[in-house]
Amino acid sequence: MNRTIHFTLNGKSVTREAPTHRLLLDLLRDEIGLTGTKEGCGTGDCGACTVMLNGKPVNSCLVLSGELDGADIVTIEGLNIGPELHPVQKTFLQDGGAQCGYCTPGMLMMSKALLDENPNPTEDDIRYALSGNLCRCTGYAKIIQAVQDAAAILRNKNV
Amino acid sequence: MSELTVVGKPVQRVDAEEKITGRAVYGYDLVLPNMLYGKTLFSTKAHALIKRIDTEKAKKLPGVVAVVTGEDVRWTHGESVKDKPFLAQGKVRFIGEPVAAVAAEDEDTAQAAVKLLEVEYEDLPVYTDPEEACKPGCVAIHEDFDKYRKAEFIVPGAMPNVAEHFKLRTGNVEQGFKESDLVLEERYFVPIIQHAAMEPHSAHAQFDRESGRLTIWVANDAPFRALHEITEALNMPKEKIRFINPLQGGGFGSKGGLKVEPIAVALAFHTNGRPVRVKFNREETFISTLTRHEAVVYSKTGVKKDGTLMAREMTIYWGAGAYAEKSPTVCIRGSLPAPGPYRIPHVKVDGYAVYTNKPVAGSYRGYGIPQGAWAGEQQMDEIAHRLGMDPIDIRMKNIFVEGDISYWGERLHAVGLKETLIKATEAIDYGKKSPNPKPGIKTGKGFACIQKPTRSPTTSAAGVLVNAKGEVTVLAGTVEIGQGCNTILSQVAAEELKVPMDKVRMHPLDTDVIPYDASTTSSRSTYHMGNAVRRASIHAREQIMEAARPMLEAEMREIDYADGKVFLKAQPQQALPIGEVVRRKLGINGEVRGDGSYTYEIGKDLDLETGHSDHASAFYMYATQAAEVAVDEDSGRVRVLRMSAAHDVGKAINPLNCVAQIEGGVVMGIGSALHEEMVVDPSGKVRNPSFLDYHLATSLDIPELISIVVECAEPEGPYGAKGLGEPGLAPTPAAIGNAVADAIGVRIYDLPLKPENVYWAMQKQKKKSAA
Repeated sequence: MNRTIHFTLNGKSVTREAPTHRLLLDLLRDEIGLTGTKEGCGTGDCGACTVMLNGKPVNSCLVLSGELDGADIVTIEGLNIGPELHPVQKTFLQDGGAQCGYCTPGMLMMSKALLDENPNPTEDDIRYALSGNLCRCTGYAKIIQAVQDAAAILRNKNV
Repeated sequence: MSELTVVGKPVQRVDAEEKITGRAVYGYDLVLPNMLYGKTLFSTKAHALIKRIDTEKAKKLPGVVAVVTGEDVRWTHGESVKDKPFLAQGKVRFIGEPVAAVAAEDEDTAQAAVKLLEVEYEDLPVYTDPEEACKPGCVAIHEDFDKYRKAEFIVPGAMPNVAEHFKLRTGNVEQGFKESDLVLEERYFVPIIQHAAMEPHSAHAQFDRESGRLTIWVANDAPFRALHEITEALNMPKEKIRFINPLQGGGFGSKGGLKVEPIAVALAFHTNGRPVRVKFNREETFISTLTRHEAVVYSKTGVKKDGTLMAREMTIYWGAGAYAEKSPTVCIRGSLPAPGPYRIPHVKVDGYAVYTNKPVAGSYRGYGIPQGAWAGEQQMDEIAHRLGMDPIDIRMKNIFVEGDISYWGERLHAVGLKETLIKATEAIDYGKKSPNPKPGIKTGKGFACIQKPTRSPTTSAAGVLVNAKGEVTVLAGTVEIGQGCNTILSQVAAEELKVPMDKVRMHPLDTDVIPYDASTTSSRSTYHMGNAVRRASIHAREQIMEAARPMLEAEMREIDYADGKVFLKAQPQQALPIGEVVRRKLGINGEVRGDGSYTYEIGKDLDLETGHSDHASAFYMYATQAAEVAVDEDSGRVRVLRMSAAHDVGKAINPLNCVAQIEGGVVMGIGSALHEEMVVDPSGKVRNPSFLDYHLATSLDIPELISIVVECAEPEGPYGAKGLGEPGLAPTPAAIGNAVADAIGVRIYDLPLKPENVYWAMQKQKKKSAA
């Protein structure tokens, strides 16, 4: 069944007709053409497709289009702040948080979600926050470092 | 040339920015104009004859454009044994084998059509154990094995279902055991695991009838080998086939060879020229692409009282799964150094690659080294304990050093192993007991050493373009799979042309324009392609200097090159930037092209009877890793607290990237040591084909990581470099195994060290000591 949905995507309002069973992940990638959000498993087990939905991180492979009317969605393409990269994007660059890069958009969105909620995360906080985001390349250490460094940048900004 | 300016420096990755902004387009993301969507029907039987396939209902579904089965495509492929049909022909050999495929206007229709396909099977005996599948009387999984086209080096076994039998014969092991004071014999087991690259597999293909050209877009880490395999299978001229590589989201060995490609190609010949995309989802990737070989390893070692190794005999059954894929070469190159990096006078190894009715096994980061090390390095520790020796001392006594002749007959050079052993063990205070943190928790330490060869002989070729703006483009067939080759190769070009890194870019990979490269495998790229790019850069520089000479009105001996400029030695201020030289010589759109290639020319094939070769590998990588673990006595759960990893890389072209490769390899190894295992039931069905049930290491599983780079320069390597992609994983499980044995006082011979295995081992030990 098709349904017309209105939502905000990376700050812009969007109106779309989509089958209610279409996954948010597929809506973003196949219909809107934003392929920065990655599909790693399609079953909510890997975190590669993490986006922000109404300010909370979700696996977009577990969200149906039918639920999206009125929603506010931010994807990796909307993570930067104007022309500036988000601090966590900068620290992923600097610390080597990305290798093959396929888990990276999901990692970044989950890191942003953590930092939005907890600007002073401990290493354990970061490990727990990212434990649903699988990475096969980096061994996680550089990712954890990048989130710590991003937290430091954000703290300095707020001082 | 003067001292190094870019090589050896911690340069940031050149490909990171597109990855952190979501702009990077991977194979799985790729959309082509007018594209059709392909879906695959997989076998539900592990070993069966196909009695009937009914495609009529699927064909009639509106929106379906093509339905293909093995009847439509008679092609077969395989790296060294041409045993795998594009789509099953007459029989299936594992659950997950592609049987038929559909192309439709959209994904939903394709999926619905696959459900309308009907297949009738007649069951055959199912073999899931490599040791059992080669017993006399077993039914041949490949009844036509003798008739298959095969590589020259294949030695089929005398037993059923053996696709390759590797033999190493040095000295006389029986005599060696007689002369030993202690002989230990044990069986070790390593289960099937999977690469689990975060990007699942996919491929796009298009066949244009007018031009007769076939184009394949795929994240494949050996596009030239894939091109060769398709050429051979289809009997088409090479010029008619083109591979284009979108970005690849990890590989670890899973994305070389042909996986989804044959299905996309089969469909592309039935879609009237429209491109077709075939994607595997995660479950399909688990069951139908590639796994790492399960291995049963029997190891028998004889040693003198003083710890001198006398003899080692190993018999290894490599579970190949249903098709040979890279099993013959994994069997050869994994079995050869399995006895370990030690001087041993008497060695006998028999490696058997055995067909089973399980998912296909192939190359996996480490190429057989982790399996051998799991057995050999644990046995080294056990021998040390039985002799009352320190595990460091027994290794120091026997370990390969510069100039040693290995047991396969090669004189070794650039051997940094001893230094890795010392540094890795020191880093975790090996030998000092770690305090038991709480009651019920036992701690222990262990380490393991490895030596890894690389695929030899092989060739890499490269081109380097310099334009009139002084910008450099590198044409190299090495695939950026996450390992950082684009950064390393850019550094090499920047170094030789003395330009800043931001002036260098890597050309996208397209077999129509990129020079030949053997493969992005075997930790070979920095060494082989590094040499090729270096030579191509020097070739470009020489042409630029030659072109600049008349412009500077000088002789060659009067000019020199620095900072991207050609200058007069006598008047260095008289300098021409390379862009200007190109512009004046060839015009504003001109380009100077340098070419270079590298082949490890003296590489020799192994003798088929003895396994000997005096140049078996272009170079050898050496590493030692040491682990400190904590074991929970109540649950058997193992936690790795610290892990040091010392790797002899020859020369670190990019120290940041070295650490990245080591950390990634170590953590992948921790997963394989503690929890990774593809569970296959007796019917051949994978029981855990999801990330929910197949436990990769997560951010909660990682220990303190201590990466140590040792530089024992390889004279033939670029700037002395060897390779590093694979060795981070290889000694990890054995080091953890030794640490667990140190902690709990009992040794576990089967991977993974999951809580129930460790718990029951401790219970057994308790009962034993009570009795």
